[in-house]
Amino acid sequence: MIRFISRRLLELVIVFFGVTFVIYCAVFVLPGDPIAALGGERPLPESVQQQLRSQYGLDLPLWQQYLNYLGGLARGDLGTTFTGQSVSEQMASRWPTTITLALTAWSLTVLISIVLGLAAGLRQGSAVDRTVLLGTIVAESVPIFVMGITAQYIFGIKLGWTPIAGVADGWPRAYILPALIIAIYGLAGVSRLMRGSVVDTMQSDFVRTLKAKGMSRRNIVGVHVMRNAAAPVVNVLAIQLGGLLGGTVVIEAIFNINGVGQLLYKAIQDQQGTLVVGVATTLVFIFLVTNVLVDVLSSVLDPRIRND
Amino acid sequence: MRGLLKGALAASVLVTLVLTGCSSPEPEEGGGAPAELVVGSTDPVPNLTPGRQSNAFGLTLSIFSPLTFLDGDGELSYLAAESVESDDQIDWTITLRDGWTFHDGTPVTAQDYVDTWNTVAYGPNAFENSGQLSVIEGYADLNPTEGEPTTDELSGLAVVDDLTFTVTLERADSQFPIELSQAQTAFYPMPQSAFDDLEAYGEQPIGNGPLMLSAAWTEGEPIVAERYADYAGDEPTVDKITWVPYTDRLTAYTDALAGNVDITWLPATRMRQVTDDFDEENIYSFAAPGISYLGIPYWDARFDDIRVRQAISMAIDREAINDALFGDLNAPATAWTPSIMPGNPDGICGEFCEYDPEAAAALLEEAGGFEGQLTLHFPGGAGHDDLYNAMANSLRQNLGIDAIAKPSVGWAEFGQDRNNQVLDGPFFSRWGALYPSQQSTLRAMFSAAPNCNNCGGEPNPDVDAALNEADATGTEDGTAYAKAQELIAEQFPIIPLFEESYSYVTSDRIAGLTASAVGEPILTQVVLAED
Repeated sequence: MIRFISRRLLELVIVFFGVTFVIYCAVFVLPGDPIAALGGERPLPESVQQQLRSQYGLDLPLWQQYLNYLGGLARGDLGTTFTGQSVSEQMASRWPTTITLALTAWSLTVLISIVLGLAAGLRQGSAVDRTVLLGTIVAESVPIFVMGITAQYIFGIKLGWTPIAGVADGWPRAYILPALIIAIYGLAGVSRLMRGSVVDTMQSDFVRTLKAKGMSRRNIVGVHVMRNAAAPVVNVLAIQLGGLLGGTVVIEAIFNINGVGQLLYKAIQDQQGTLVVGVATTLVFIFLVTNVLVDVLSSVLDPRIRND
Repeated sequence: MRGLLKGALAASVLVTLVLTGCSSPEPEEGGGAPAELVVGSTDPVPNLTPGRQSNAFGLTLSIFSPLTFLDGDGELSYLAAESVESDDQIDWTITLRDGWTFHDGTPVTAQDYVDTWNTVAYGPNAFENSGQLSVIEGYADLNPTEGEPTTDELSGLAVVDDLTFTVTLERADSQFPIELSQAQTAFYPMPQSAFDDLEAYGEQPIGNGPLMLSAAWTEGEPIVAERYADYAGDEPTVDKITWVPYTDRLTAYTDALAGNVDITWLPATRMRQVTDDFDEENIYSFAAPGISYLGIPYWDARFDDIRVRQAISMAIDREAINDALFGDLNAPATAWTPSIMPGNPDGICGEFCEYDPEAAAALLEEAGGFEGQLTLHFPGGAGHDDLYNAMANSLRQNLGIDAIAKPSVGWAEFGQDRNNQVLDGPFFSRWGALYPSQQSTLRAMFSAAPNCNNCGGEPNPDVDAALNEADATGTEDGTAYAKAQELIAEQFPIIPLFEESYSYVTSDRIAGLTASAVGEPILTQVVLAED
């Protein structure tokens, strides 16, 4: 077990450094000078540009910049933006909002996908089954910003049920619509997985035995099928939660939600390299850690996994 | 486990209830209550110090008052200044009005202005708006190209008494009083307390304007300003303004549509459908001192012949593009500066800014045609795709040349390629003036030391001389600059495209917006609807 965990942690460290290096290079090797671009069409005076470049270490070679960045990272310092604000501080104030949004979206995914997966799996081949399959595919294929803008128009303006932007109205009113839209994009996969799992379990020998013994369908599904079918689904859902914490970029921008995703969106727009790298690095880290946790927990539940 | 399905069903019902049933109570309406405004804005960068602020203009102008003010008709009035005078356009004397105070209660003095301008101009402080002060004598000493400056004071500034100071300029500049107007925020004053901690000041600046910030600003959060009781200028019509930052302009627009925001911009993507979404009286479009051009790569020999440049200009149907893409809100340009600027020689571009495909083709033919592919370059991701594709189409159809439009990855790459002169075709160019004098745009685009590198074509010594002449002899009516535009028309270095307008939508709580001379509404003078 300890060997398994340490192997996973070592992988995490390697992937983490690899990914941050790629992100760092992608951001800073891009053509164009981020300092000159700060002023847009109105160029900053040359002396101001020089001052800013040396202040942010942009006059150093890239490898040195990256090493400095790693040094800061080791001290828990994610650096400062080109406008002098601390990246960690900017993120800290935004985490509660993003976590609330992600947990809300994730809970909705869990609820809806289990209900849909069960409904489809128990009536394999029926109209319900086909509707769920088609519905989730169609919903998932609509671009997220189209769905966001349409939902704002229908629920915010026409019906007036939810606010259009911001989280000033608090949970759940302000979060429910963006969370639902995020959930829709996780639904198709999870509900189909759940469906397949339910179908498999329903056809398994032990279910046939239970049926033969005269156990009610309700008991079979509620107690035995659910438990067996849920295992693979729980795994996927846990990994999804890690992704959700960073995967809300577009929705946070459209709904003007003051979270980490919006920060990343703005940072990309404003070509704030350090901010992009800082936020992206943190999100990668969270995703990797979630994955390791899920692996370790699954291996506790099912020792066979450890041998892979 | 048995309860799980039931629980799931119950929870879904609950979610549905939350979604459909319970709307929270409507926000309170005015009715004798303080006059409040909610403005949809972008998040200010990088901090609120006027010498560093480049996008929270409405906010800065609400908490500060400039020395001089230009109204929407181009009339110059004196606000914080009693007078700005000079005999030779080089040595200026600025007299402040008596009785003005900062929000911390301290009087606004000549010393405050001098100290602030020195701080903003001092290179190592790296204030983004520092360049606005470069007209003042001694600016170069505070901003040496190599090493640290040896002084931190502008030699051109001197305090005479509490309310008077003198400014010596590098060269004669007839437009100086106009340069001191509202949009050049580097000229705003800061109180002595600011210099102790400029970082803290940037979060909660203490100004001399009609409103004051009630709390420090946190990035990403709304900013609230309330009436400053001892303001010495005109009473504001509003008691409180809240600026709500939006990442996406479209979201702010949608929120205005729902009545949650009182004033916000009209995003370019909604220009054509805005009349379906809003009533006519809730849409405002103000002529702005901005103008767009098609820049010409003068380093590419294929564009040497003036007839090639003129042919390209004549092949573009500005009217049709304005109608189709901008909902008729902009205006086809007829000169090299927008017509909102005093004394603008409207129509000086003549037939070459009018759509005439046959004449354009004939002119290009006469010049010997065009070799190879003609690529129009523009910065990607900024919403210019439709315009540049439309222009490339026009050139292909009307001139029979292989024209394409090509976006860059972003602004940084585009700016670098343009400054390094590696663009191989006409390119995006524009100038938004901070003070509506032809001088601002012409100097930025066409002088020997332009502000916008490679935006305005090959430098021309005659144009430069004409600009210097106008700077020395001109007046606020701007006519002196027409001479420079005549020379530009003869050389045709770049192609004028559209005069810009800045457009806004409002909620029904707004009965009237007044534009200032830079195309933005004056928030502290908004007329609120009677309840």
